[in-house]
Amino acid sequence: MDGWIAFLQERSSDIGTALQEHIVLTGISVLLGCLIAIPLGIALVYSRWNWLTNTVFFMANLLQTIPSLALLAIFIPFLGIGMKPAIVALFLYSIMPIMRNTYDGFRSVDNSVLEAARGMGYSTMQSILRIRLPLALPYIMSGIRITTVYIISWATLATLIGAGGLGRLIVGGLGVNKLELVVVGAVGAILLVLITDTLFGWIERILTKRYGRTSSTTA
Amino acid sequence: MIQIKASAKKVTALLLCGVLIATTLLLTGCGKEDQIVIGTQTFTESKIMAEMYKALIEEQTDLQAKVIPDLAASAVIINAMKKNEVHMATLYSGELFNNHFPVEETKDRQEVLKQAQAGFDKYLGFTWMDSLGFENTYAFTVQSKLAEERGYERISDVVKDAGDLRLGVDTTWMERTNDGYPAFRKAYNVEFGQAFPMEQSLVYEAVGNNQVDIVLAYSTDSRIKAYDLKTLEDDKQFFPPYDASPVLLKELAQKHPEVVQAIQPLIGTIDEQTMIDLNYKVDIEKKSEREVAIEYLEQQGLLVKKNEK
Repeated sequence: MDGWIAFLQERSSDIGTALQEHIVLTGISVLLGCLIAIPLGIALVYSRWNWLTNTVFFMANLLQTIPSLALLAIFIPFLGIGMKPAIVALFLYSIMPIMRNTYDGFRSVDNSVLEAARGMGYSTMQSILRIRLPLALPYIMSGIRITTVYIISWATLATLIGAGGLGRLIVGGLGVNKLELVVVGAVGAILLVLITDTLFGWIERILTKRYGRTSSTTA
Repeated sequence: MIQIKASAKKVTALLLCGVLIATTLLLTGCGKEDQIVIGTQTFTESKIMAEMYKALIEEQTDLQAKVIPDLAASAVIINAMKKNEVHMATLYSGELFNNHFPVEETKDRQEVLKQAQAGFDKYLGFTWMDSLGFENTYAFTVQSKLAEERGYERISDVVKDAGDLRLGVDTTWMERTNDGYPAFRKAYNVEFGQAFPMEQSLVYEAVGNNQVDIVLAYSTDSRIKAYDLKTLEDDKQFFPPYDASPVLLKELAQKHPEVVQAIQPLIGTIDEQTMIDLNYKVDIEKKSEREVAIEYLEQQGLLVKKNEK
């Protein structure tokens, strides 16, 4: 036990840097994912062309099937090494689940509700913002939460292309047979998942509350 | 009653089937008695050497060999050898300094090899053969253009500019105790502006494309030449010597001396340039390690060509 405490003290700055890099990697990729995938998912709900919806989902599914290590390697000739290619790869992975959940969430809203809204004079924009988005929120949030969990775990591979993160501790520890490093890297990722998931839980609750009020006042 | 009996029979039959399948799986899972497992590290050279051992062993003995590629580091290989999961590998004499057993500090090539041979024999039960004839050490390299512009010849020349330089290294090197980054910083009293740990095979491309300024290369890697890199002299002799040797379990060497005999002709015959050329065929010409290994052995007359048999 003393050995562990001494180890943690000695390496605390390295562990801190790795954790910070990991948060930046996942944070930016998931954020970009949300910015692209949520509007895209909404647009597809309103798209009149079925083939377009199918193609977009096909492409997003296809991206999902590329092994993460391969995707990281594929970007090296175009984007080089470091954070940039890692973030692009992780961002691409985040698109599908967020977009799929947004799409399904919007489609889940009962047609009669939308009819009623139209009857009350809601414009399309109003019905998106005031009706469909609040009702689809649990779907979208669960999409974001799932995505964040596995982006955090996949980001451990980013160290192989020079992007750092908790994977640095795991790969380095594996190489010199220092189990402590591997354990710290893994536990770090687990803690990160637990913390962000709790955080998203709060955000979801707050958003639901707010939207609940606005919808009741407008109704 | 009859029905119960019938179903009991069925259950027994099913159970028997299950046991049979499980035992077959277990038996095939366990390695064959006479199969020699050769472990390699992630870089090309150790894979080419493993293919050479395999070809020679299978040609000259009744044993079969299997190559397990891409083990993350020498520590992984040595641990697997201790557990008898890997029987053979190429290791480098500087491995001595990785805290396996007490050693005497020295940088003399012969002395390091001698200590490695004696120590690994005594403490771990490995037979450490003589050097294959080449050394593969760590080499700090920069683009030749940059070296010319700033007059870099030795690592000490870089120290004054280090704060502005981006360093690209293997992730594992950051963690090595005796010849890793922390010890290196102390020895040269140097601190690079930014360090990018990555997979070793990417450092050459990274420095070649200006994504980092200085990288820690492996001295026998052909990409040093391909990317026109300049190797800086280790003027403080920080890195220990790294002579490459075939290493196998003593138990195997004693039980099957013909294995040692099969590999013996390679000892002392491969110099640095030869190894660089062999690596070039794999890393740049994209041939397979096996093809390159067999082609070399045939050229040397160590292996009879298939079509001449």
